[in-house]
Formats: sequence, C-alpha cells, structure tokens
Amino acid sequence: MYKSIIKTMKDVPLEEFYTSGHRTCQGCESAMVMRYLAKVAGPRTIVVGATGCMYVANTTYYTTSWVVPWVHTQLGGSGAAALGTSAALRALMRKGKIKEEPINVIVFCGDLGCADMGLSGVSNAMTYDYNLLIVLYDNESSANTDIQETSMTPYGAQTSFSRPGTARRIMKRRWKKSVVPMIIAGHRNIRYAATTTPAYPLDTMNKIKKALEIGGPTFIHSLDPCPKGWDYDPMYSHELGTLSVETGLWPLYEFVDGKLIYNEPTKGIVEGRVKRKPVREYLEKQGRFSHFTEEDYEYFQKMVDEMYTSWEIPGVMPIKSVIK
Amino acid sequence: MAHGEDVKYVEITYRGIFQKRLAKYIAEGLVYMAREMGRSAVSFGRYGDSPERNGVPAKYYVALGSLNEEELIGYSTRVEPETVDVIVVLDDTLLKGVESWAWQGVQPINLKLKEGGAMIVTSTRNLEELVKVTPAKEFRWDMGRINVEKSFSGLWAFKDDMTMERVWGAIAKMRPDIVDLEHVRTYVKEHKKDRVNERLSAVEEAYETLVVKSMAPKEGAEFKYSPPRLLTWQEMMEGAAVPAVPRGGRNEQFKRGTTKTERPTVDFDTCIKCKLCWVYCPDECFDETKDGYYDIAYDYCVGCGICADVCPVKNCIVMVNEGRFKDYRRPYEMWKEDKVAYKSWLKQVREGGVKERVVVPGLGR
Repeated sequence: MYKSIIKTMKDVPLEEFYTSGHRTCQGCESAMVMRYLAKVAGPRTIVVGATGCMYVANTTYYTTSWVVPWVHTQLGGSGAAALGTSAALRALMRKGKIKEEPINVIVFCGDLGCADMGLSGVSNAMTYDYNLLIVLYDNESSANTDIQETSMTPYGAQTSFSRPGTARRIMKRRWKKSVVPMIIAGHRNIRYAATTTPAYPLDTMNKIKKALEIGGPTFIHSLDPCPKGWDYDPMYSHELGTLSVETGLWPLYEFVDGKLIYNEPTKGIVEGRVKRKPVREYLEKQGRFSHFTEEDYEYFQKMVDEMYTSWEIPGVMPIKSVIK
Repeated sequence: MAHGEDVKYVEITYRGIFQKRLAKYIAEGLVYMAREMGRSAVSFGRYGDSPERNGVPAKYYVALGSLNEEELIGYSTRVEPETVDVIVVLDDTLLKGVESWAWQGVQPINLKLKEGGAMIVTSTRNLEELVKVTPAKEFRWDMGRINVEKSFSGLWAFKDDMTMERVWGAIAKMRPDIVDLEHVRTYVKEHKKDRVNERLSAVEEAYETLVVKSMAPKEGAEFKYSPPRLLTWQEMMEGAAVPAVPRGGRNEQFKRGTTKTERPTVDFDTCIKCKLCWVYCPDECFDETKDGYYDIAYDYCVGCGICADVCPVKNCIVMVNEGRFKDYRRPYEMWKEDKVAYKSWLKQVREGGVKERVVVPGLGR
C-alpha cells in the first residue's frame, strides 16, 4: 500500500506549496508541519485552516504564502468544513462537473480549534467515510492571542491564564489530554491516526503521505515547539522537539488498520532498548516552567514514568491504571 | 486637527515578544512621569502589532499633551500617529527598516519623525557606523545613542538590565520638554522597590554619556519607500479571496527580512550537501542550486538560527549579527564568483559578529 514512502532526505520533493513570506514567529515549527504537508500532498490539495496562530500567519493583508487553495473556517468549524469540502468534491465528481481524480482535503487546526472547542466537529467528521485528513498542530496554548491555557497545555506551564502566584505556584493542575487514543477508541471506521513532531521531518512526511494514501477520515496529532508560548530561543526549536520524544513525554506512534505501531525512538523506549532522558532536561529549557521547584520536577517525572510502567499500552492507553 | 499641536508622541520600536515588556514598561514610566509633570498622557500599542510574533518589529506609543485624558485617548485611537517627536529604537538592526504588517511595506525607521525630532538608538556600535545605515530625512533632526547591548528576554521573562532607566535618562537629555531629569529620578525612587541606587545611576549615566549627533538634511542612507496601495473593495476578489502564489514563487508582498537580528552565513567549501538546513527551515529560505548546494534568500530569512543548530558540520552555517551586512545579496553567487574572496569576506564578517549563546534555564534567550 505505501509504495512511495520517503526513505531518505534525497527523496523529499523539492517543490514548495507553502512558501516563504508568512507571518509566523522566528523558529516556528507549525510552519514546518504546514510546509511538509503541502509538499507531500502536492498540487491537487485543498487546505482548510481553522482560526489560530497559523490562520493569522497566512493571511497578511491581502497577501498569502499558499500555492494550493487554503480556506479559513471559524475556530470550532474545522471538522464540519472538512466534511463539507470533501462531500462537495465527491458530489461534483459524481455529477461530472469536475474531472474524477484524487483531491486531498487537509484540515490544519490548532489545539484550541481541534482538541478543545473543535473536538465535536472533528469527531463528527471522523464518523463519515469521506477522504479527509485532520492535522492537529499542538503548540499547547492559544498562541495567536498571546498564550492562553487550553486543555493541551502541560501541567504547571505558565500561560496568561495560569500565571504562578505566591499562594499557589501551580495554576494549571490538569494533565494534558491524549487526543489520538480518544479518536481511535471512539471511531471504528478510522484506518489511520498518528502522533508526530516536526523535529523528525521524514517521520512527519511519511505519516502525512500514509494518511493521504490510506484514505477515509484520518488524523495526525503533531507536537510543535512554539518559541513564543514556550519561551525559549527560536534556535532550539528542533532540539526541544527531539527532547519531547526522547524524554518519553511525547510518544511517537501510528495506528494503522487496527494495529498500533511505535516509531523510533519511542519504539526503543517501549521495548526497553533506549533509556528515557530525564524530563527535567526538557522542562528547564523553557521559560514557561521557570517557576518549577524540585518537587514539581519529581511529580512531572513520576507522571511520565507511569505512562510507561503502569499503562495498558505504554504511553497511549491508561486503562490499567484506572482499573487499579 | 486644530488642537493637534498640543499632543506630543513618543514612538518605541522594538522586537515583538522579546522586548515587549521592556517597551511597555518604558511607555508606562513615561506616562507616570508626564502626569507628575502636570500633563495628561496615555500609552498604546500599534493596532496591527498584536498578536505579536517573535522578533517581528512592533511599535508602542506614548501620547502626552495638555488635553484631558479622555480626549487624548480619542485622539490616539488610530493605527499610528502621523508624526512623532521622539523615536526610541530598542535594537540597532531595526535601523535597516521595519516591516510588521504586509500592507505597510518595509518602512524606514524614522518615517514618522517630525522636523527637529529626536531618535534614540540602543547600540554598542559607534554613532558614525549607525549614521551610515540610518535613512536620510529632508530636514534637520537629532540622533542619540545609548551605549547598551540590546536587551532580549522572552514572553514570561523580563531582563531587568536597566535599559529602561537608560532610555528615560536619554529622553530627559534630548527632550526635557517631554520628561525632565528631575521627574525621572522621582519616578524611579517612588515606583521601583529594588536596586534603586543602581537604577538612579543608570539614569544619570545615560544622561551624562549620551552621544548626540545633529543630522543635517539628506544626511544618512538612501531609503526608497513607497507605501503599497491598498486594494479597494471593488478590486478585491469575491469573498475576500486572495490570489495564490504562482508555483515556484514566493510571497513577493511580504518579505519580512527585517525580522532578523542575526543571519546565517554559509561556508560552501565545507558543505556536505546533507539537506538538513533546507528541510528544517520554517521559512523555506533555502534554494537548491544545480550542483546541490543551498543558497539562502536573505530577504525572506527571519534569522531563527535553526539551520545553524541542525548543521552537522562545525562552522559551516554560523549566525552573524545582522548589523554587519549592508544588503540582502545571496551568498551562493558571491561564492561562485570568487571563492577566495568569499572566504576572506566570511572570515572578516564572522570575526566579532558571532554571539555566544548561553542557554539560561527558564530565560529563553
């Protein structure tokens, strides 16, 4: 099925369908995901974007950096817009109004527009058998409107809604929610879902390619280091992405036709070949955790350890710990 | 505006997010001082600059005058004032041009400066060097320089390195009609809880050591600026659609090369053609050449430094202070022309222009 998988850097197509001249931050990893998905999907693609930082970044006063068509939808409307676009294309082809050919429909929505308030629409889109790919770019906050907390914000992180105070140091006490397990557990017809991070470009591009080739409703969750919200030097975007995986905080896996496959280096961590790095290495490079004390680091480490020692499926499904 | 003459404006140009708090605190201080001096004052950010992006040039304003505050707020509710009395430039690489939103194009730094106005630049370079890159004006104006390293921190961190106090001291020296030294001193004493003496001496130091140059008409660099014409609603495509970029092209209307404080320099002799810089660049700045090297489109590069970070060869890609470059010329053609000259140019540019980056936990930059 996956004949044309990108094996080395030399196989990556050169042509850009999301080009320079966008209004993202220095070192923006979400722009990289966008670039990769446009590159892999090719010219016959419609990209639907929900409101978020990447919406403002791509529409700078009557200019754009897209080569392929890009449509803006409202914050919670990404799922519905994708379904509508895909259904309309199928109807037009059936009626013979346009040539019958595969046209990719890709939705690019942020953690607020997809995992928080947009989740109902996304879930609805996942129940139909139209060809669409939903890419959740997760920078762990509403980065467009100066960093507000979302359900994807990690434990303890500073946001403009959760500043540490003197009485309570940790204002964000909930743990980050896992979206991909939720999607694969709740939607039987979905044949492909994956997590990724742009720090592993070949992995990201292959996952997008697989999702588009398998067809049907597919889902990719990408963790994008955000220099603005996470508060670090933009130069270290790539390093933070790899650290999130190497510390075990962000497991890379894909769900293909009912099977869960881990990708390297998470595969090594789960199989016990690779030792996880301490979470501290990842946390202390970011300004948003600058208020952490020793006990917070320990708590964070304990929670990540639990993912691999006491979960039903390491890093993915916590059923066992719930039953216990 | 009949009563327009009563209002004076201070413009603070800064790097988005990195210097946001610094700019905000400077403006806040000026508002308090002006009120102490018996005038009303308000501060506001330029509309288009929020939500800000890392490193993108942004502006903050202070309006002060003898009107009442409500009138002043009403008078200030616009994208930006037409003319300003003082410009504070918090990073000397901004002198090359400012582009925060596409429809303004790359503006000269002193576009809004009034005749006889003052511009204060924070820089460690000497004034003669700065004059060479500063856009010329038709009239006489003053340029001052505070000798201080640019103060970068991040969103949650604020680098309290007395840049704020120095800027106030410099404004007091150049334009006592906006704030005078006495009121700066009083403000610092009353509003700052820690390190008051240090702060006061920073104010004094800036006041005493400020280097001022009177700029003659047409002195400085030539800067061609024509504001892009905005389309009217009749000209726009249906449904606010925007024409796509042609295949193989780039977004010509928004280049945003002014976002960078550093730019990558490439030593093509040691390049191993691994493609990593190309694949990891979030701004698609690298163009593959026929012989497999990667040429950089500097006018689109925002200087994030990821390419230098991922490059596996030591000293192949190195980030160099933007102030050392005059144009956006691509490096590959320079190297092709004369490899020996390129190498010596590279050596000369990198010498002293490379900043050692220390990762301070929790402080971002």
